[in-house]
Amino acid sequence: MQGSTLYLERESGLHRLHPLTKLAFAGVFLLAAVSMPGIVSLLSVYTILLLSLGAWGKLLVPLLRNSFLVIWPFVLSLALIQGFFNPGETTLFSLGSFTFSQEGLMSGLTVAARLLLALSGTLLMMLSTRPDKLMLALRERGLPNWLGYIVLTALQIFPRFQDRARVILDAQKSRGLEIEVNMVRRLRLLVPLIAPLVLSSIVDVEERAMALEARAFNYPAPKSSLIELHDNAVQRAMRFLLVILMLALIVFRLQEIFSV
Amino acid sequence: MNGFRKEFSTLTLVLIPVAIAINIAVGQVATRVTWLYLDSIGTVLVGVLVGPWAGAVTGFLANIVWTAAGLWTPAFAFAGVAAVIGALAGVFGKAGWVKEWPKAALAGLITGLVAAVVSAPIAAYVFGGVTGAGTDAVVAAFRAAGLDVLGANVAQGVASDPIDKIATYLIVWAVLKGLPERFKVRFSED
Repeated sequence: MQGSTLYLERESGLHRLHPLTKLAFAGVFLLAAVSMPGIVSLLSVYTILLLSLGAWGKLLVPLLRNSFLVIWPFVLSLALIQGFFNPGETTLFSLGSFTFSQEGLMSGLTVAARLLLALSGTLLMMLSTRPDKLMLALRERGLPNWLGYIVLTALQIFPRFQDRARVILDAQKSRGLEIEVNMVRRLRLLVPLIAPLVLSSIVDVEERAMALEARAFNYPAPKSSLIELHDNAVQRAMRFLLVILMLALIVFRLQEIFSV
Repeated sequence: MNGFRKEFSTLTLVLIPVAIAINIAVGQVATRVTWLYLDSIGTVLVGVLVGPWAGAVTGFLANIVWTAAGLWTPAFAFAGVAAVIGALAGVFGKAGWVKEWPKAALAGLITGLVAAVVSAPIAAYVFGGVTGAGTDAVVAAFRAAGLDVLGANVAQGVASDPIDKIATYLIVWAVLKGLPERFKVRFSED
């Protein structure tokens, strides 16, 4: 499929896994991000498990680059805001009447580590899984047809809309859109940008609806697919164990919450 | 669930990915022209044209797509908020509020306040009170003033979401005003 997604094609064992297996990995990393007690355990899971999966998928560089780009603003904001405003005894330095504490800093960095693990787990899955294969796997397990259709189609068509919007924006710029200082005027100038986008899309929509119906989209019989998914007993067992692991992590976390 | 089934014609189904694409395209443009997000134009459009269920589905899946497309990975954590925005748009649409601009602006104000309140706990407890955006400076200011994590996020949300949603509703009002009537009736469930 065309369109713009994170998926990167690679010849690797990770890529050959069934999409639901990879989804299960992402689930484990998300729950681990929530339930691991501290920054050491979080970063251990990250380096030992997540990065090795990334290396297996030959995706280490894109994984690190993408996660860095997403996470660095969080690290900065968390370190500063929690460092200054969270309660803490060990002062590292002061700025006016505000003190920057070590406890606050550690607390902020721990949250950042949780986000790193959760977001990287999600990224790893998206980098190694083709969206249409994932949708097919979910559909086989009961996901409604229309849900997969919406997500896949949106992923396919949005770059075209970005291009169209950029063309109209450039035309507006030559009429002084960015020179306008007044916010209200700027908003009013946005309308001639959005209106043609919406109007041409609606005409598009009517044609698409007819095309879908002509292809028996709503016909209730089961459909055959062009894509083949490969699964085996080992992966099924693996997914079962991963689900057990996820439940264990949930129990672990609930225990923590209720024993404080 | 009857309303759900009634709202879901093939035409609606096809409209939703288009609306999501509009969310993305306009959202990207907005960051270059103004400080507003304007990333729910499509969601509100579907809500007003079709109904609350379609609006909610559009909002929810738009955030999933936003993550899956690699535009901003944390987006999926706020899918519920987006669904609420879409549902509200359906309610306001059915009430006819988006036909005149003062009521549309009021609808935007209410939506913005609700969105701020619903998203603040997510920002506070999942993301430690930050979203990695420029608005974190606003959060810091509120923390400095003595508010706690949740309070500062609610305050930041209330300060910025309503303006964004008022602008969104006004744009949708203006766009719908210019749309031929025959298009609008094709989508509504009546």
